[in-house]
Amino acid sequence: MKTFEEKWTAWLDDQLSGRELADFEASLPDKAAAQAEKREAQKLRVLLKQELGTQALANEEFFSHQLRERIARERATDDASRWSWRRGRERSATSTWWPVRRLAWSGAVSLAIFVICAVFILRDKNPAEQSQYLTQILNARVDPVISPNATISIFETREDKVTVLWVEGLQSLPADYAAK
Amino acid sequence: MHTEATPAQVDVSDLELVRRCQAGQAEAFDELVVRYRTRIFAMIYNMVHNEQDAWDLAQESFVKAWKSIGRFRRHSSFYTWVYRIVMNVTIDWLRKKQIKGVGAEFDDAVQMKEIDPASRTVPKADPLPYERMEHGEIRARIDRAIKQLSPEHRAVILMKEIEDMQYHEIAETLGCSIGTVMSRLFYARKKLQNSLRDLYENI
Repeated sequence: MKTFEEKWTAWLDDQLSGRELADFEASLPDKAAAQAEKREAQKLRVLLKQELGTQALANEEFFSHQLRERIARERATDDASRWSWRRGRERSATSTWWPVRRLAWSGAVSLAIFVICAVFILRDKNPAEQSQYLTQILNARVDPVISPNATISIFETREDKVTVLWVEGLQSLPADYAAK
Repeated sequence: MHTEATPAQVDVSDLELVRRCQAGQAEAFDELVVRYRTRIFAMIYNMVHNEQDAWDLAQESFVKAWKSIGRFRRHSSFYTWVYRIVMNVTIDWLRKKQIKGVGAEFDDAVQMKEIDPASRTVPKADPLPYERMEHGEIRARIDRAIKQLSPEHRAVILMKEIEDMQYHEIAETLGCSIGTVMSRLFYARKKLQNSLRDLYENI
């Protein structure tokens, strides 16, 4: 369904015909005024064509010359950017992979160093020497054959690296301990 | 000196030139430019009313046409296709200029309310103003009247009245419906009639 504006425009431009034209003209309240409006539209068209249709392009050849140069420049820029884009893409394919691999390697090496350091530190802190003697004494104490009523106390000053054993009721020291 | 041909005369040859352009022949595009440069420049000039701007926009339109000619499927005429690019470039430019506040203010919104579709203004009583005015003044009056239209209305009236394009060609160029083209024509004509009546009344 055409709007009034569409029908009016088509009528002004002589684009209506047959029944459509008859129906539209019959719907006009003042056909004489409408015809006058149509003549006005034609005059406007003549005026516009007369005044605006004459704008010439000065220096036509220079226009084409400038355009050719601009297109050549654009093509050169496009080629260069396409080349750098391809290079960039290749580089980015490498550079995307490289940080990941480097990161993984760095992580693994750091972890290994941490583990090694941790092992050494823990081993240094372990007071193995002190408990070695105590274990021997306690083993001796619990032997009912050798010393059934023996009591053993231990005093230890770690800062001074001194350990005192207070032993009572021992019949004899264990042979391996005495040897040391 | 090359002759500017009308779209109907060059349609087939245009498509052949387009085919050559798509095959990489820059000379074929040069020939298309020669055929349409004057009309396109005039069209843009009538839209922007400044020679330097029209020159730059025509150049930009042709560069864009060159860049995208590989995608032209030859379903329409080259003329319609290139006009679409021209209109997009020019209307965008006018819109940006309007946003920056440099250009004219389009009064379409007011126009819709102010104009009675069936109105007819009584002719002015001034004796032959058209004869009294110098040619430059007439042109300036017309330019001012066209500047009051929105870019889309300018495009429609110029393509119809100056280029004699059909409704469907204008619609294709502007990417809108035929109904929209006819409606825009209606309001653009009303607006220009109101502004320029004293100029054409005594033609």
